[in-house]
Parts: sequence; structure tokens; C-alpha cells
Amino acid sequence: MSDRISVTFVSTSGQHADKVVQVPRDLTILDAARYAGINIEATCGVRGRCRSCRVKILKGAIPPPSVQDTVQLGHDEVLEGFRLSCQTRMLDDTTVAPMPPKAEEGHKILEAHDSMLDTDEFHLDSGITKISVTAKAPVEEHHQTSDVEEILSTIPDLAHHKVPVQCMRKIPPILRKENGKLTVTRFNGRIIDVEAGDTTDKLYGFAFDIGTTSLVGTLLDLRTGEQLATAGGVNAQAVYGGDLMSRIAYAQFDEKKLTTLRAKVINQVNQYIRECCEEAGVDCEHVYKIVIVGNSCMHHIFLGIDVSYLGLAPYAPVVRENLVFPATDLPLKAAPNAQVCMLPIIAGFVGADTVACILATRIHESAEIRTLVDIGTNGEVVMGSRDRLTACSAPAGPALEGAQIRDGMRGAIGAIEKVEVNDDFSCLTIGDVPAIGICGSGLIDAAAKMIDASVMDRNGNFRKHDVEQLSPAVQERLVLSENGSREFMLVREEDSGKSRRIGITQGDVRQLQLAKSAIYSGIRMLQSVMNISDDEIQLLMLCGGFGNYINIQSAKTIRLLPDLENERIAYVGNAALLGAQMALLSESERNNAYEITQNIEHVALAARPDFQDIFVDSMAFKGASFPVSSKSNRQRRQRRRERQLV
Amino acid sequence: MNTEFLDYEGPEEPELKIPEGWESRAPEGWEWQTLWEAVETGDHIYTDERVRESIEMGIDPRVILDDGLFPGFDLQADRFSAMVIFIPEMLITARAMKAGLALIRPLLAAQAEKPIGTFVIGTVLGDMHDIGQSIVTIMLENAGFNVINLGTDVHPDKFIETALNEKADLVGFSALLSTTVYYQKVTIEEFQNAGHREKVKILIGGAPTSPEWAEECGADGWGKDAVEAVKLALRLVETSREAWA
Repeated sequence: MSDRISVTFVSTSGQHADKVVQVPRDLTILDAARYAGINIEATCGVRGRCRSCRVKILKGAIPPPSVQDTVQLGHDEVLEGFRLSCQTRMLDDTTVAPMPPKAEEGHKILEAHDSMLDTDEFHLDSGITKISVTAKAPVEEHHQTSDVEEILSTIPDLAHHKVPVQCMRKIPPILRKENGKLTVTRFNGRIIDVEAGDTTDKLYGFAFDIGTTSLVGTLLDLRTGEQLATAGGVNAQAVYGGDLMSRIAYAQFDEKKLTTLRAKVINQVNQYIRECCEEAGVDCEHVYKIVIVGNSCMHHIFLGIDVSYLGLAPYAPVVRENLVFPATDLPLKAAPNAQVCMLPIIAGFVGADTVACILATRIHESAEIRTLVDIGTNGEVVMGSRDRLTACSAPAGPALEGAQIRDGMRGAIGAIEKVEVNDDFSCLTIGDVPAIGICGSGLIDAAAKMIDASVMDRNGNFRKHDVEQLSPAVQERLVLSENGSREFMLVREEDSGKSRRIGITQGDVRQLQLAKSAIYSGIRMLQSVMNISDDEIQLLMLCGGFGNYINIQSAKTIRLLPDLENERIAYVGNAALLGAQMALLSESERNNAYEITQNIEHVALAARPDFQDIFVDSMAFKGASFPVSSKSNRQRRQRRRERQLV
Repeated sequence: MNTEFLDYEGPEEPELKIPEGWESRAPEGWEWQTLWEAVETGDHIYTDERVRESIEMGIDPRVILDDGLFPGFDLQADRFSAMVIFIPEMLITARAMKAGLALIRPLLAAQAEKPIGTFVIGTVLGDMHDIGQSIVTIMLENAGFNVINLGTDVHPDKFIETALNEKADLVGFSALLSTTVYYQKVTIEEFQNAGHREKVKILIGGAPTSPEWAEECGADGWGKDAVEAVKLALRLVETSREAWA
């Protein structure tokens, strides 16, 4: 038997020709795909815990299914030759078709138009200035001057004399062209570019929000603040682990893997720069300032800084302050000396994205007490006013993105996103097609409606007593799942877009409780630290991609959010990107970002003695509790009690 | 109407296991029912009262533990295992159990009753998660183990030092982050390097772990939840190990 086997990857979408790679026998199909340069997403971080890396084996020996294959894909798919590529090692030459579940198609990404900056009330001061001058090439041989000296002598308000070497390399021909008419570009007074002719009307910049899941960038005119183009998509690193911790685990103590992640994000940012510039008819060479925000992990990976210790207590970042680099150092596709500005970080799990959200929502200038909540896999909570500001990390985990939920999926076509209940339950899906799964907002809505309908109690236990009091239609929905645990059916098999019913299991409810408790206890802890009651919170702002889709009432019912009046809860869009744009257009805002990180108090939840109690209390929903024991048990106990009385 | 849903008596409908012949071990007219229910519902005040009464009545502490406290606790543990109840309910039951144990333990010690084994437990280096291992600790204590809980963010050397000093039979460490499971492996390697690996049985657990990971990192066992962990510990403590010097 040869040590190497041949693997053929067939494209199901017709996006690429078949790819054949020779790989060592002991590789998984997922590893082989990476060899072949084919992107297969492994959302759970190669742990066999999700379905995102599903493939179908078309030819060759089909390896026996692992436990994870059976659990994730079900018996039928396993028999049809479906496998999780992250768990399957090939026996012999194999032909494989990547078949990610439909769930991942059409994933909603927060677009840049969710965050338009109101430039009327905003003082533009990007720090980038251009001046058009006419300089002469040196003529004297006796009292010699230089090209640089000649150019500098034409600038009226010259404060810094240093000229970067990249500019010097460009100077000789342009100084002797167009009669010495040239344009000097400066950043906070320092020269960063010299070019031929008058280009003072061409002054552009980019703001990027690098999220764990998605990456969005916008091209702005630095003179007007106008948004010219935008690009966004799933973060290309997601194939190496969907959530933040699996991303860190992937690159932990492995420089090569860190480089792989870094290359992915740099390439993607460059691709978006190219796309936006093309769309707006802008030359990349006229992009002079780029502001990047992201959580600490994305920030570090972008710079190629080791993330190993971000994942280990006390989860300290390598660097926190404002950083500025020339574009060539990274490298980004812009003017060679374009200034790439990284906004500062508060703590390992409260990153530059949170700083940008604070900038955008002005919570640091607010006279009244406000709360900012980013609901996500690695969410954050910020609370306070201009007098005192606190922040904590509130990691909900991936359950709200559909991971570790039996019928969970991302917010894509076919996902249940809304649930209504009258005499019976009804579900609305994204794209109005038959349901194939349930996304985070659907899960929250479903749980809330189950509580409203008295199908589930505050402890997350399904109703088992006096079931006959429920409407007949709702009774029909209480079913047993394959493994014998109780389940609430949302969509019948015949109505679903899958060959089985869609429902919520008792285990799903437990995952939801853990996820929402992380957020709720984060809010409660900051309230406890600052001694603030619900009444004192004047405004609770939801930011990030997820906040837009959740039903506020449902979020209050499941105690994901505190019980404030609807008027005191607002969705503020992609505040992280908005904050990045503000720092792009205003140096004083960029400096404010630094001030914020210096003044905010970071609260480490786990280190506080009252955290466990608050966390456990936060697992409860609203509503009443049901008796835990079933009818039969209660009857037995009743009999025993009676016997004792006799 | 899904009658199967209501009548279902499968693994997720655990029943109270009434200790056989408990009447013969209790005074005339005695009842444990209210204590079983108090532990089940997490009423630590009543538990404390009732256990005091039992001691005053001169009931053997071992009997109070087995007949009075365990049935309610075991019922909840089985329900927890079947996901019928969740962490909050399990914790309040554990709190009631703790109240009872606090009164019983000194009496058991006075009778020179030996623990069935010494178990050193903690969360690995780099990890601050506490709740899971604190539930396991209480359950192990209930099962009769002498448990030394080192808390969170525990350095491998600390595990080794404690195991050595206490002549531990079992060592268990949890990791709740995908970034810290790495230290389960490291800790096991350190036991190996120190020459103590064969003297203890090592158990691991935590949300990101799996039986496959347990095998890969060289652990002796993996528990899906606290209930499984205790069953596993009871099995492993019986297996042969090298003696501590």
C-alpha cells in the first residue's frame, strides 16, 4: 500500500474545475481540501461538533462513520455517504464533493449601510492634508541643493523636515515633469507622499471592522466624509474555526498557523480595497489613511502578533495603545506610506471594536447612564456615563449562531427567525421558504413564546403536568425526539424543507440558558459594580449584527435583556464600523479612543465573588416554575404521604 | 394528544430510589420523606434542622447519610444527567446536601470511617471556570471521597505537589475553553515527567473535551457530566496503581 493517496475534489456549484491532490494517507478530508486550496468551513474548529464541513464521498472506499458523523449528520446521511470532513480519514483514493449544509448559504452579513455617519454635524479632521506646490529642480552646481530641499522650500507651513525614503525614490522624475508642479501629502504635518501634478482633490481612506465572523470595509472621501463604496463578507479565517476561542486555539503556539490566519485577513482586506476602489473609480495610490477595528484576537492576528496568551488567564493582550504603521509594513494596497491606524484595546476580551462602539454611541460623553450591549459569540457590555464607565466581556458562545443546537443554523435562507403563538404556534423563515433550521433570533423567539404559552417554565423545563389544559394543537407539538428526550416541535416533517421535523430539544434550551445567562449576568454584574438599578439605565443600546434581528419583547421574556420599557432599548447598527469611520475622519476622535481606554474600568467577571450566584440566577427565564416530577412520581409520593399519615 | 409524551418513563424520568429496609434502621415512627424532598427541592434550612434532629435521636450518621440525605440528592443527580433539571436546580440541591454533610462529616470522622479515596480536583492553568468542578466536588464528597479542590487556574506543579502530599488516588482537571484544553495534556505530561503518572488515575472533563481528546491527551477517563465523573471515579479508584513512596 502506498503512503500517499489521491483525493479528487469535485465542485458541486461549478465554481472550480475538479482538483486532484496527492496527500499522506493519515490526513483528514478537511486537511486534504486545504492542501488542494479548497475552502471548507469548519465552524466548530475541527471538533466534529457542527455540520459546516460536510462532504459527500462519491467514489472510493467510504470510511466507517465516527460517532460525530452519526450525531451531526444522522443515520440517513451517513448511509448516503455523507461525512464530516474534519473527522474522516480516507482509506484509499477517494473522490469527494464538499457539500456544506444549505444553512450556510445566503448568510446575512451586516452591511456598511447599517451605519451611515451624519457628516453634517461632524468636524472633518482626518489628519491627512494635501498641498499643491511648484518646485524647481536644483540648478546650481556650485552651491548645491538637493531635490528634497527644493521641494521642502516651497511648503509654507513646514513643521517636519523628514521625507520617507519611498518618496525620495519617486522624486527625481516627478520633479522634472509638468514644470515641477507636484502635490505633497502630509499626515499630522509629516510628509507621507509626493506625486506629480495637482491631485489635491484625491484624498481617500478606509475604515475596516474585522469581526470573528464577518469583515466589512468602507471607502470614504476624506475631504467630504462621503461614503463611496463598501465591501463585506464572511471572514476568510472562519474555515479555521467559527468562534474566537477555536481561532485562538488553532494558532496557539504555532507560528505557521498564525501566519496562515494573518495571510487570510490581509488578502481579504486588500481584496476589499481593490473592489471598493474599482467601484468608486479611485486609484489605490490615493488611499492615505486606513482605520482598523476588531476584537483583540483579530487585531493581533492582523499584525501577526502571537495570540497564544489571549486564550489563557488572565487573557492579557500583547499591546493595547493606538498604533500607526505605514501600509507597506503590513502590506496593504494603498499609498506606500498610507497610515494604517489600529484603534486601541481595553482588555483581552474587550477589544478595539468595543472602543469603536463607545466612540460611535457617545456613551463616554453621556450625562445619563447608558448601557451598550454587543450580543455575540464573544459579546461585551459597557455601562456608565461621562462620569464613570465600566466594561466586561460577556461571551454567549456560538449557540446564538446555531452551533450546538440540534436544528440550529446561521441566519440564512430557510432559518426560522420569528415564532408566533395564538391557539397554535406558527413560524416565519428567512426568505419565506420551508424551514430547514432555526437561527439565534428564532431560538430566542421560540423560547419566549413557549414560556408565554406555558409550555416551558422559568427553569427551562418542558411542561409535563396538566398538559390537557394546553390547546390541542399545542399538545400535538410536545413530542419525543429520537434519543428519547422531550422536544417541542416547531415545524412538522411534511412542512419542513428537510426530511425531518424541526424542533427545540431540552438540550437546546439548556444551551440557550447558558448563552443568554452570559449576557444577562454581564449586565447584572456591571449594575452591581456601579450600584445602578434598572430604573437608572436611561438607554440600552444593542449593537452588532445580531441585535438587529432579535425581538426585544422576546429577549426580555427569556431574560437576555433587562425588563426596561421598549422606548429605553434601541438598536444602533454596526457601531464598530461607525466608530472606525469616525476615527478615520477625525484625529481628535482617534485620540478620544485612546482616552476611553485609559479611563474605562474593565471588570473581570470570573474574579468577582458574587459572579457565580448572579450567573446561576441569570439562567432563569421569566414566568412560573412547574413541578419537576411527572404525574406518576407525584402520585407515588402522594400515596406514600397518605400511608405515613395512617 | 401524544400520550407517549406523558407516559414516558424512560431515562429522563428518574424516580426516587427509596433505600431498602430503611424502617429497620430508624426509630419507631420515623420518616425520611420530608428530608428527601427537602434535599430534592434544595431547602437547606429544613435539611439542617432535620439532620440535627436525626443526630439527637441517636441515628447512626452513616444511616442519616445513606437513608436520609442521598435519596433526594441522587434523584436530582439523575435528573441533571437526563437534562430534566439544570445547573441552578442542581446547585441548590448541592447547597442543601452540603448543609447536611457539614453536620455528618465530623461524626463520620470520629467513627474513623475511611474515605474511599483521595481525589485532587481543579481547573487547569489559564482557565477561570468554576461552576462545573464545584458540582463535581460535592458529588464526589457525597460518594465518600476525600476531595481536595485546588480551585481555578491551577499550575501543573500545584496538582503534582498536592497529589504527592496527599497521596492522591485520583486527579481530575477540567478545561472549559478550547484554548485551555491544551493544559490538560501538559499537566498529564508533567505527571509523567515527575515520575508520578502511574501512581494516580487521571480524569478530565469540560465542555470542549471529548472521549477522543481524553485518549489523545493520555487521560484515564472522561466524564460527560458530574454524574458520569463520579461513576468513573468509583470505578477507577478500584483499579491498581503504583504505590506512593
